[in-house]
Amino acid sequence: MTEVLLRVENLHVSVGDTPIIQGISLEIKRGEIHAIMGRNGAGKSTLANVIMGHPAYEITSGTVHYKGENIAEMEVFERARAGMFLSFQYPAAIPGVQVGTFLRKSVASVRGEAPSPREFRKELNEAMKQLDMDKSFLSRYVNDGFSGGEKKRLEILQMLLLQPDLALLDETDSGLDIDALRIVAEGINAVAQDTGCLIITHYQRLLDLVKPTVVHVLIDGKIVESGGPELALKLEKEGYDWADALA
Amino acid sequence: MTSYLDATLPNRSEHLWRYTPWSRVHPGSVDTVPTVDSAVVKSEELEIVNKTFQPLSTTDIARIFLNEVLTETIVVECDGKEGNIHIHAGGHAVATHLHISCQTNSNLVLHLHGEAEWFGLALTGHVQPNASLSVGIINELSSDSVMVRVDDWSVQRDGRLELATLSMGGHRNKSDIRSTLQGTNASLKQFIGVHGHGTRHDDHHVEIHHQQPHTNSHLLLNAACDDRSHSIGTGALTIDDVAQHTDAAQVFRNLLLSPSSRAEAIPELEVLANEVAAAHGAASAPINKEQLHYLMSRGLSNEEATSMIVEGFLVDSFTGLGSDYVRDAIQTRLTVHLECKLIG
Repeated sequence: MTEVLLRVENLHVSVGDTPIIQGISLEIKRGEIHAIMGRNGAGKSTLANVIMGHPAYEITSGTVHYKGENIAEMEVFERARAGMFLSFQYPAAIPGVQVGTFLRKSVASVRGEAPSPREFRKELNEAMKQLDMDKSFLSRYVNDGFSGGEKKRLEILQMLLLQPDLALLDETDSGLDIDALRIVAEGINAVAQDTGCLIITHYQRLLDLVKPTVVHVLIDGKIVESGGPELALKLEKEGYDWADALA
Repeated sequence: MTSYLDATLPNRSEHLWRYTPWSRVHPGSVDTVPTVDSAVVKSEELEIVNKTFQPLSTTDIARIFLNEVLTETIVVECDGKEGNIHIHAGGHAVATHLHISCQTNSNLVLHLHGEAEWFGLALTGHVQPNASLSVGIINELSSDSVMVRVDDWSVQRDGRLELATLSMGGHRNKSDIRSTLQGTNASLKQFIGVHGHGTRHDDHHVEIHHQQPHTNSHLLLNAACDDRSHSIGTGALTIDDVAQHTDAAQVFRNLLLSPSSRAEAIPELEVLANEVAAAHGAASAPINKEQLHYLMSRGLSNEEATSMIVEGFLVDSFTGLGSDYVRDAIQTRLTVHLECKLIG
């Protein structure tokens, strides 16, 4: 039986007194790609951040299980070491920290041991080549002065190196030109076969390149409709008005 | 030359001594001139020559005091060279006066270390026309040491001076760093990185004086303050009325790592010319939670992520340094220091 990586049950989340997510249930198995689409403010990024354990969000009820374990008490870094990965919509800049240093430490933390310098260099070169990234990236400071597209490529580079079991991709396609989108999509497809993926996106164009198993429509913090890839095509064509009636 | 015992002691209303009174950095009782030995100064790469003491300009109490206790001036001829100078401060109270003369392009790094209870450091230097000098000063004194540092630098026409200070050692430090841009197109870049830990008290007062047109200065002070440490950064930027088309900026940034740490950042400007760009800014904040979350989402523990942010913050103090030689030396010592302090 295919392993269930993520099980979200009747999840309610608030920021302060404001409820954002109001009863989401979701199950992602290994090898599945789930896409979540919805208007701005529907709660898509909140869902990804809550699953990853962002301390600003409070789970008021419901549960999140990862690989069968309730992860409510897990620290963010423990989730990462357990194989969870979030590609941020707005990755933070860390001035003074070189990309190469950051990647090496991150890989060592997640894998539990530092790879040999030679092995790491080889992996890194291959991943950067796959994403058409110049080596000069490695000496730049993490996301500092990066364009939107450069930030997204760095996120996918990290995903390739960290080889997560569950990848949460929050608007990874925003800010990308057509060529960059194709390269990033190839990167996602490279890990998606052995991974569970939750892709948050506004656009069909990414789903043309990364075929979703399931598409969910999120309205006001609730999944109002789930279906196959045709659901994304319907949203592209008709917008969200029809889904409001289902909320 | 004014005698120390005849001099008027400054009070705390003076900008220079507001946060670190002279009595707290004097090597003994403030109404005495104790015996002060010479620090040991060595360099393998550079020629250093001991000469008769060349008195400092006596405009303030620290310089007046040092004029009484210093016995020699060590002259560094560094034209076209790069190298390290090690200053070992051992014993009860020691001091040294280093004078740097640069007529071409040079890079040098001063390493301050030792267990002296008190260390007085006077640095003077002239950057001649068209010359370029980069100086790194790395303070790794013992955690019990008190240091008084006074600098007097001048930069001539088309000269370029880079001054980079990494301050990690000593218990109580007072630095009064003064630079004068004396020729047109003279340029000064000054970078200061402070790591406050334990009960360190680190006070940097930076005076920059633009005396000629088309001169540029840039000051960045980044202080990361942990535990019960206290960092002070005060700036005094003066642009004379003749120094038109000057471009000057002062930025003070403090990263507060503990609720008990403190930081002051006070840039002051006196602009007498009317066609200049003069900017200043100061900010103090705890660690950015989004940075912390981002790094932790990549598997780093809270401590590891904090350590990386602090190191990055301090490394970033020196990003603008043009000299790879000085920057690499500073970064190496910073990494060693933080591995001991933050990771253990």
